[in-house]
Amino acid sequence: MHKFVRLSALAAAVAAVPLAASAEGITNRTIGYVLTNKSWAVYQTPDGKTECPAGLNDGPREQFKALYPDDGKQRTLLETHLAREADIWFPNENEPETDKGPLPFRYAAGKMALGLNLDGKIGSKDFSGPRGDTGIDNELYRVLGCVPGFRGPDGANYFFENDYMQRYIFNRVLLEITDVDDLTNDNDVTVTTYRGLDGLLTSANGKDFIAGGTQRIDDRWGKRYIHRLKGKIVDGVLTTEASDIKLPWALTFDTNPDQGFKQAKFQLRLTENSAEGLLGGYVDVKDWQHRFTINWSTHHSSYGQMSIPSITRAMRKLADAYPGPDGKMTAISAAAEMKFAQAFILHPEKSVADAAPTPGAKPVDQRAAGGQ
Amino acid sequence: MRAHHVLSGLFAALLLSASPAGAQRAVVEREGYLPEPMPPGFGVVVNEVEGPVFTDAAGKTLYSWPLKGLRNGDVGDRKNAPSACTSEVYKVNSGLMSPYPAGLILPDAATRKSCQEVWPPVLAGKDASPVGKWTVIARKDGAPQWAYDGYPLYTSTLDTAPGDVIGGTNRRARGDGPGIREPIGPHPNIPPAFEIRQMNTGRMLVNFAGFSVYAWDGDGADKSNCDAGCLKKWSPVLAAETSQPQGEWTIIQRSPGVRQWSFRKKPLYTFIADGRPKNMLGTDEPGWHNVYTQRAPAWPKEFTQQESHGGIVLADAAGKTIYLYTCGDDALDQQTCDHPTSPQEYRLAVCGGGDAARCLKTWRPVAAAKDAKAPNKTWTPIDIDPLSGHYATPDQANAMRVWAYRGRPVYNFERDAVGDVEGDAWGEFFGFRNGFKAYWLRDDFYSNAG
Repeated sequence: MHKFVRLSALAAAVAAVPLAASAEGITNRTIGYVLTNKSWAVYQTPDGKTECPAGLNDGPREQFKALYPDDGKQRTLLETHLAREADIWFPNENEPETDKGPLPFRYAAGKMALGLNLDGKIGSKDFSGPRGDTGIDNELYRVLGCVPGFRGPDGANYFFENDYMQRYIFNRVLLEITDVDDLTNDNDVTVTTYRGLDGLLTSANGKDFIAGGTQRIDDRWGKRYIHRLKGKIVDGVLTTEASDIKLPWALTFDTNPDQGFKQAKFQLRLTENSAEGLLGGYVDVKDWQHRFTINWSTHHSSYGQMSIPSITRAMRKLADAYPGPDGKMTAISAAAEMKFAQAFILHPEKSVADAAPTPGAKPVDQRAAGGQ
Repeated sequence: MRAHHVLSGLFAALLLSASPAGAQRAVVEREGYLPEPMPPGFGVVVNEVEGPVFTDAAGKTLYSWPLKGLRNGDVGDRKNAPSACTSEVYKVNSGLMSPYPAGLILPDAATRKSCQEVWPPVLAGKDASPVGKWTVIARKDGAPQWAYDGYPLYTSTLDTAPGDVIGGTNRRARGDGPGIREPIGPHPNIPPAFEIRQMNTGRMLVNFAGFSVYAWDGDGADKSNCDAGCLKKWSPVLAAETSQPQGEWTIIQRSPGVRQWSFRKKPLYTFIADGRPKNMLGTDEPGWHNVYTQRAPAWPKEFTQQESHGGIVLADAAGKTIYLYTCGDDALDQQTCDHPTSPQEYRLAVCGGGDAARCLKTWRPVAAAKDAKAPNKTWTPIDIDPLSGHYATPDQANAMRVWAYRGRPVYNFERDAVGDVEGDAWGEFFGFRNGFKAYWLRDDFYSNAG
């Protein structure tokens, strides 16, 4: 059992003289947060007609019926069921687009979206944000915006990705901000992501996640989730410099995939109790498809009319970064909405740097460890 | 009635080969079981994976097919009802696994056998009488069939040697897995306060709440040396005042009136930091081990163990994670589709989009050396046709010798680096129905290790 000896944000209980604490919640120039809510950033109007004028997309069931109508023809499992599964796991790379033909795809329209300006430019395809931001890069929104499962508050993916993130510790994401003197303005802070090992602290009704919980760092299995980012706080908003990161992003049924973000930036409004805002970055299309497909069976995707072959082809079509050897873009701009609650982050006895994986190191032999 | 007896659980059989990292001991311990009355001709074999299983007079393992609810209906046998495994040959799927509809022609429709051809019923003689949990149920054609605990019994045509369990699945049915046949056996010889969990590392003892129990190298034979400091982390598994020693189980007195269970002379504990059933966190403490009635059979000696982002996985010599492929079809009789003799269309769809060459690249069977020898009955080298996935013909030039677990090839995933499990849950229904799951040895977050 690890001995967690350093409390990153434990208030004055253990510190006779707090060091440079200019706000409550900051101790030893450090404050921690734990992720409590996340969803892919989908801008929605009340009736959806602005962004989805042609309606919402079909899912696996509807597409199956469109491809194989009930016309009395006897079909084989190989040419139907297994062909669809083949298309899910290996979406046809040569099919150029999905907005025509037997399986039409409806992209989100309009100029408004949530997200960040990832490339520092204001291009003709960029969105504007509801608060007047410009140059927003979020092509993934065009793909997901009219897929019911990704729309809040009750879309299947919107709900369950969040629900299982909250339930399963595998998905616990911590942010620790160090070198912070002021939560309102500080032009040089360090943000470190970790995986935590504990449940979320809830209010008495069990529904609301509240500040003040404690989280241990997973410094053994969670090394891949440790990322150190530089950032600054301006008018209470933390913005980190672009960096590649990976976060645990699993659902249920014992699945355990990650979601990578290239050139990722957090933009979070900070308080002593919470952090709320966006994570923007480019997601590799193949990785996104892989993670989603691992996380969602075809049956479950049907709940939210989430057709992974159609979504993947649409992502390929709108991919806007990281050209591959053939010149085709391999990644797509994206954003996720995130909420964090303040948490006291307990560091293991050894520094995380010490715990970095040693190339070639052998793990404990499970047969030896398990035997008596 | 055939005479039988309580096995001590200790089979002093020498191992055929050493296990990875020299961890294997000199003897193989096998699970003990409680005697129970059986009809004449039946027996018990202690299988190296499943523990004690009932066998027929030929030594073939007996299976039941308990009812399982699928998304759109149930499959399997109902308790105390005639067998649902009949002479009917299904040509189309049942549509019980959402979202695909019923009535689609099965890949093996032209050659498919009936359920009772691949799962021969265990028939009873005309004068057979019920014994204990053993009863006789009339099949739909009137033939008497043995049942155990109310469920009709079968053998598997995939089993060839006494005590084989190839007919069973290489993964427990969970979630949306198919309705599987399970080997049946006598009750293990364990006190009521314990249960056994089938893990990839062996048949592991847990307490009544499902939490792992441990033993400590620092203890003596039936003597606990876990003092006040030790007890801050470890809780002795206490025996009730009325508990009695049985078989390999003894009870030691920690202090007057405080009784602790001991198994094979090792006092037992739970670990306070284990937050979930079957957690193995206590094995990180030096000298502390999980406790098994019997360990999993040794995997091929060149295999390794790697740390992943959720625990420890079995890997090949290069460190790439080992995956098991599991498949059950959607016909009403839920036949297997993950064996080299099964239809391969299911696997080819999810491993290569129907393209055999891509499949071979994406999900490559784990190669075995030409002179590889099976360390046991569970891990065996087999020769397959690399493209079709079926057994190779005897003189096939491009035959591939691969490692098989319970008769089915094991695989690596193309995108994995050392310690990765990128392919875990790849396939239909999270890999439960037609897909791949990593061979987890320890999973600190989920239940992938067993």
